[in-house]
Parts: sequence; C-alpha cells; structure tokens
Amino acid sequence: MRRFLAILVCKLARWLGKRIGKGSSLPGKLALKVCPDILSRVRLPDTILAVTGSNGKTSTVEMIAAVLRSDGRDVAWNAEGSNQIEGVATLILSRADFHGRVRGDVLLLESDERYAARTFRCFHPTHFVITNLYRDQLTRNGHPESVYDALVPALSSGTELVLNADDPLVSCFARGRQHVAWFGLDRCAFSTDQPSGVYHDGAYCPLCGHPMAYQYAHYNHIGSYTCPNCGHHRQTPKYAATADLDRGILEIDGSPAIPLAFRSIYNVYNLLAADTVCRLCGVDPDTAARTLGDYVLKNGRVKTFRLGSVHGTLLTSKHENSIAYDTNLRYLAALDAPCTVLVIVDAVSRKYFTSETSWLWDIDFDLLNQPHIREVVLSGRYCNDLAERFSYTALPPEKWRVVEDIGGAAAELGRSDRENSENPGELYVVTCFSDRDKFLCLTEQEG
Amino acid sequence: MDFHLLHFYPDLMNLYGSYANVRVLGRLLERLGHTVTVEAVTPGQETDLSQLSGADFLYMGAGTERRARFAMEDWGRYGEGIRSLAEDGVPMLYAGTAMELLGESVTTAEGGRYEGIALASFATVQERGRRVGDVLGHTDLFPEPLVGFLNKSGVIRGIDTPLLTSLDRGYGNESDRGPEGFHRWNVFASELTGPILVKNPRLLEVIAGEMLKRRGISLPEAWPVDTWAQKGYAVTVRELGGV
Repeated sequence: MRRFLAILVCKLARWLGKRIGKGSSLPGKLALKVCPDILSRVRLPDTILAVTGSNGKTSTVEMIAAVLRSDGRDVAWNAEGSNQIEGVATLILSRADFHGRVRGDVLLLESDERYAARTFRCFHPTHFVITNLYRDQLTRNGHPESVYDALVPALSSGTELVLNADDPLVSCFARGRQHVAWFGLDRCAFSTDQPSGVYHDGAYCPLCGHPMAYQYAHYNHIGSYTCPNCGHHRQTPKYAATADLDRGILEIDGSPAIPLAFRSIYNVYNLLAADTVCRLCGVDPDTAARTLGDYVLKNGRVKTFRLGSVHGTLLTSKHENSIAYDTNLRYLAALDAPCTVLVIVDAVSRKYFTSETSWLWDIDFDLLNQPHIREVVLSGRYCNDLAERFSYTALPPEKWRVVEDIGGAAAELGRSDRENSENPGELYVVTCFSDRDKFLCLTEQEG
Repeated sequence: MDFHLLHFYPDLMNLYGSYANVRVLGRLLERLGHTVTVEAVTPGQETDLSQLSGADFLYMGAGTERRARFAMEDWGRYGEGIRSLAEDGVPMLYAGTAMELLGESVTTAEGGRYEGIALASFATVQERGRRVGDVLGHTDLFPEPLVGFLNKSGVIRGIDTPLLTSLDRGYGNESDRGPEGFHRWNVFASELTGPILVKNPRLLEVIAGEMLKRRGISLPEAWPVDTWAQKGYAVTVRELGGV
C-alpha cells in the first residue's frame, strides 16, 4: 500500500512540477517520505549503470544514453541532472507502474559522488563508472581523498566497476575486488614525460605517500604511473586507445576512428568511459563508434554567441575545480588563431555562499601566456583575487587587465574599436554555471 | 640581504594553493630590496640538519589527512631542531593540517594515533565529518579582521595561545566561533586552508616584519602596497559581513 502511495505521490508531484516548471527532486523527496525504502520495493531493469566522479559525469551519461539508444535500448536516465537520491527516486518512480515495475531496458544514473552511498543503499548498479577524483567544490567535498572515503560504501561487491586506469586515486577502488573493467589512454603525441599543472600531490602514491614514477602523463597527474615503494600502478585498459587532438581523432581497439566534436582531453576520457561501459553491455563496437563520432553534447557546456561585432564561444568551467579550468585553458593554448579571453568569477557557487577563492591558485593560468592570446580580461566580484593570482603568472602585465563589472567588460569587448583591438579574434569566455548567464544574457546566442 | 625560506614538502602538502604563502612572502621581501631563496625539502631528502639553523622562515602547507601523516613520517627527524629554532624566535608558518603536526599527537578518524613534533602540548582528534566554511576572526596582532576558509576534520584541544582569539564566523580549534590556530614565539599556525597570507595582507606584514627584526633590519616606514590583494581582502571582509 505504501509503495502504491509513494508512486502515486511521485507521479502527481511530477505532473504538477512539470506544469509549473519546478525541479525534478521534490517528487522523489515526497515519495521517500511516504515510503523511505521505496527504492528496494520496485522492480528495476536488469541493467543499471551508475556514473560518478568529479568531472565529466553529465557528459559521459549523455553519451552512454545516446549509444544505448542507437542500439535500440529503452534507456531511463536522469537527464535533468538531479543526481542525489531524491532525483533518482523521481526518475525511477515516474517510470514505474503501480505494481512497482520500472519501464526500460537500462536504468542509467548520474550520481553525486559524495552522496552515492545514500542513493545505492536500497539497490545496486550492475556497472559503476568512476571517471576521476579531483579537487572539486572544496566547500562541500573537502578533498579528493575524503570523497574517495565517502564513495567506497556505495560500491557493492556484486557491481562491476568501470574505472579510469590513468587516475591513481580512482584505481584504488579496485583493491580487493574481482569485477573491474579499466579504461584509459595509451601514450599519445601530446603526452608529457612528467605530470603537469600547478600542484603535484596527485603524483604521490595514494596508498603509501611515496612519489610515483611516471612513464607518461596526459594532463596533470593523469597518465601511466608506478609507485616504486608499494607497487601501486596503472592497470592495462580493457581496450587500447590513443588520441590525436590535432587531427581530432580517437582510436579504440582497432575500431573505426572516432572523430572528436570537441578536441579536448576531457572529452576523450568521457568517450572512453562511455564506449567501455556500452561494450560491456553488449553494444557492438562499430555501433558505439558510429554514435560517438562527432557527437555534440546537448548539455550546453559550450555556447556560441555574438557580442556586438564580435563572435564568441563560452566554455563552461567549474569554479572550485582547477582541472576543469586547466582543461579549458589548455584548449585555448592549443588554438592557432588570435583570440581574446574573458575570465569571470562573480559567485563562487550557485548552490551555496562562500567567498573562498584559494582554488584560483591551483589553476595553471600560465597556459594563457601564448602569442595568439591577445588579451585576457578579468571580471566579476572576485576579479581582484583573480588579478592577484595573475600577478604571479608569467603573463606580461600589458596582456591582462581588470574590468570588475561584467556588463562593462561585455560592452568593451563587443566594440569593434576597442583598445588592443588589432585582430582580437574570437572572444572566449571561461566561467562557471554560476556566472555564465550573467554574461550570456548580454549576448545574442546561437543555436 | 638574502633571506632563506625553507618550504617543507611543497608537493605533498600543497592543498588548495598552499604554496602561494611562500610566493607572496618572497615577493614582499623582494619589493623591500632583499633577495630571497626558497629551498624545498622533500620526503627522504638527505638534509644536513644544520641547514635549519640558517633558515629565516620555515613553512609547511595543508595536505589531506593521509598526506599529513605521510609527511610526519619524515618530518619527525627535524622535530628537535624546529623546537629549538622556535624558541629562538625564527618565524614559521603552518597552514591547514600542518598545524596538527606541531602538537603532541594526532588521532585519526579510523582510530590510529601518531605523534607530532610536540612543539606545543596540544592534541588533535580527527573526526569522520568535516568542518568546512568561511571564517572571519580577530587576532591580537592587528585590529583588522582576519579572513579565510576552513576545511578540516580535526578538533584540537590544549591550545592556550591561539592565533585568532575569537571568530565571528567559522569553527575554531575545538568549538564553533571559538579561538583558532596557534601562536607562540614567532610560530604562526592556523587550520585555515590555502593562501592565508595572500588573503590577509596585514598578517603577511607581521610575519615579514618578524623576519626583518630578527635580522636586525628596521621595519619600512610604509609597506609596499599590493593593490589587488588589498582590494580582494576588502571584498572578502565585506562579503563575510565584517564591515
């Protein structure tokens, strides 16, 4: 009876929520109040995929859904991004009939890494993808090792883990487990001999604290590592893969090359994770490669716009997440055409208040010290903290400046006759979800 | 004058931009016309302990709880020398979990226990839950408020000489809004994570001032102004409701 009631409450609240444009967490929250163990009282699809990690969850889940659908599967997934238990309950119960049977071949869940143990208390995924663990949202996550500790209880012994072999901390999830599939990237032309970035604690062994030896690194501390002290090392991925970011191609296990819609190393890892788990679910490699090739994400992380006479691209980053920034900065550094960069830090988070900006010191802003990057403009409430950070980079002082007001920065950058306007090129905006609409609302968006 | 800064474990103990404290201190001394050398000390490094006595400033930044424990496995051999330098008035700063290593012991959330260098008689007990959030507090060193961010699992008991004597916002050593950090001789320590000297230009001047005094150099009539740091500090104080 309580199951029936919980499902009814969820469906009604969902129907009402859709009509008034409300979020996707509340119906599940109400249902869990009615029946706290409702998620163990429903009959779920045979295949349940969970995806978690600091970065790339939403993109990876979206790509997995696209591949599975192209393979003819009926996929239920939390496309709206509500990735804690309430949002998951909304998704599941909305697709359940009143006997508790959940419609679909595959249940695909993006899961918040910190609260996954709560979400998966009543049921267990058949496959659990962990993309990476980085410094991210320190305000709520503490640090990567505390997220690791929080995630361990979410991993049931019967679940097959799909792990990033190139992330030394993520690799530790495999300890003492039998069912593990690895994804990773072999040495590529862009790989370096040593880890890059501003900080290097990730290159110390997560198990014994000893400095690790690197055979190569793809970015920051992600790559092929061995601890000479305790032997912790990169495992061999299930499918060998290499990428060529200049040509925009990913090759996996001899399958047809996958053209990259966005030539970022991040995108490559998301693709690898998606491809690996889809193959584990029985999808034909060619079907996966065909769907993933030139796949343009619909989650809107990249936006193009016109601002006055200038064309621009907004690369959504994440405040409090230096690797998300580094990845976008690396992308800008690799461009070969002139460009201007605007960095905005106004509200550190859209979910909670903090004035914490120490994460700016973890970002490798020196990547912007390139001849083709004509100028960098810093804007938003915390532009002074940004400027202080920039004053410690190798960028010459004449290459960067501060315009505190976002509207003022937009007005200046949109003028064709602005200072330093000798071929300023494309305008790239790097900022977070919390701030991007403050800028985009001043532009004419494309697409 | 050449100033010699010793930076313990700059890779291992470098959570959330901790390294910036050394950068900002070095730049201030350079702006005053001095030369600065920063020596990194890594775990297992063959170090002549007499090098310690030539240091003008010792620093260790924040690390995760596990990294702090790994660091301590190496740092113990410097304990006696560091205690001696501290009593001698050498300025030093310990940020985040590095502060915990100054005490007598650290008890981990899993129940393990290891010893610190016992520079002071406090003890840390790490809990499974974390205390995170912005901090606005006050110190006896100067009238302006001190700002920062706390991200810790440790509760520290037994400190009689805190760096921040009271907090308007945030969790102190062992209680909400209670005293935070440690300050004795010229040893400055705080669990505030990250670049505490960037965020607090006045604290930077105090520590640089102690370094100058110890070398017999008179304090400048006016400290060089770091405009961005000053403006950033003002915004943070305003956002935290300090002024």
